[in-house]
Amino acid sequence: MTQSSERASSDYAHLDPVLVELAETPVGDPRRTELRDRLVTEFLPVAQHIARRFGQRGEPHDDLVQVATVGLISAIDRFDPTRGSDFLSFAVPTIMGEVRRHFRDTSWSVRVPRRLKELHLAITGATNELSQHLGRAPTPSELATHLGISKDEVYEGLEASNAYRSSSLDELLVGTDKSVSLGDALGDDDPELMGVENREALQPLLQQLPERERTIILLRFFGNLTQTQIADRIGISQMHVSRLLARTLVDLRKGLLSE
Amino acid sequence: MEVRIAASPAHLSVVRAVAADLAMRADFTLDAISDLKMAVDEACSELISRSVPDGELVCRFAVESDQIHFSAESRTGSTQPPSRESFGWRVLTALTDAVNTWVVPGPDGAHVLRFDLLKKRADDVVGL
Repeated sequence: MTQSSERASSDYAHLDPVLVELAETPVGDPRRTELRDRLVTEFLPVAQHIARRFGQRGEPHDDLVQVATVGLISAIDRFDPTRGSDFLSFAVPTIMGEVRRHFRDTSWSVRVPRRLKELHLAITGATNELSQHLGRAPTPSELATHLGISKDEVYEGLEASNAYRSSSLDELLVGTDKSVSLGDALGDDDPELMGVENREALQPLLQQLPERERTIILLRFFGNLTQTQIADRIGISQMHVSRLLARTLVDLRKGLLSE
Repeated sequence: MEVRIAASPAHLSVVRAVAADLAMRADFTLDAISDLKMAVDEACSELISRSVPDGELVCRFAVESDQIHFSAESRTGSTQPPSRESFGWRVLTALTDAVNTWVVPGPDGAHVLRFDLLKKRADDVVGL
């Protein structure tokens, strides 16, 4: 990786002025689109390279390239040349973060029949739609009515979602991802935490959590938001919030016990 | 319905699964199903960590019209219930509609720690 990124840095050196120009061009200026398109096209091999590294994990290659490209675009949009850092050292973790999230959002940890996968997808989609409409999470019978399937099928689909998500990949890449930025979703210090007696033990554990997990924990237990409200706020599905929350709670409990 | 298991973390998933299945079939909202599951997990973990060696964890579920009442108990060495200032307690109060814990005298001079949880079918969401 070091070797290839060194080579890559020099390959892309001619784009540094373009990055500076993009950053200096005000939003709304038509020139921006042009610069951005050029950067995306020229840096595309970086995204493709990262997508290839994540191949062999059962996700279609085209999907990975697409997800990596989304990561590239957001890196280009957020890169600030005045910070003095090199674009690739900012872009690579951003793109990897995007691909990693894709896996976390779309992978199954055990083999699940295709029919159940589709059922799970349909339920996730219907849950999002109904939540918008109802202002709260739907019930299984509401999902069944909405999808025109039996309640038993909904139960089956919900149970199948327990097998969803590949955790090994998450573990593999924890720490390399600096791209998740939810800091604006919540302040650094949470005054609510003051009331908790084991906050001396809890605080460092919370600090160690990935930002998204920490935000979810704080919003749920200290902000009293429902899972559906949190899902809406940070742009992931309710089931995903549910999984992250359950898993993070187990980790926190282990951490507190070992104090 | 009642579930009796050895007070060991290895069996937690059974109680969790029962909780989720009952809530699902009682047509709880997806949020409430997930909340109940986590609350049951939290209460049982607390009981297991305070249980006497080789203790037994007794869990009871009562599905009522619009809510599920869960209670669990195990023998413990201490007369003190878990603190209400702890993070675990904060988690339980956030996840349930009512929660209580206390220690009662058990047989042969033992102490029994008990948790009582109540979870309603749907959250009272502000604005509804």
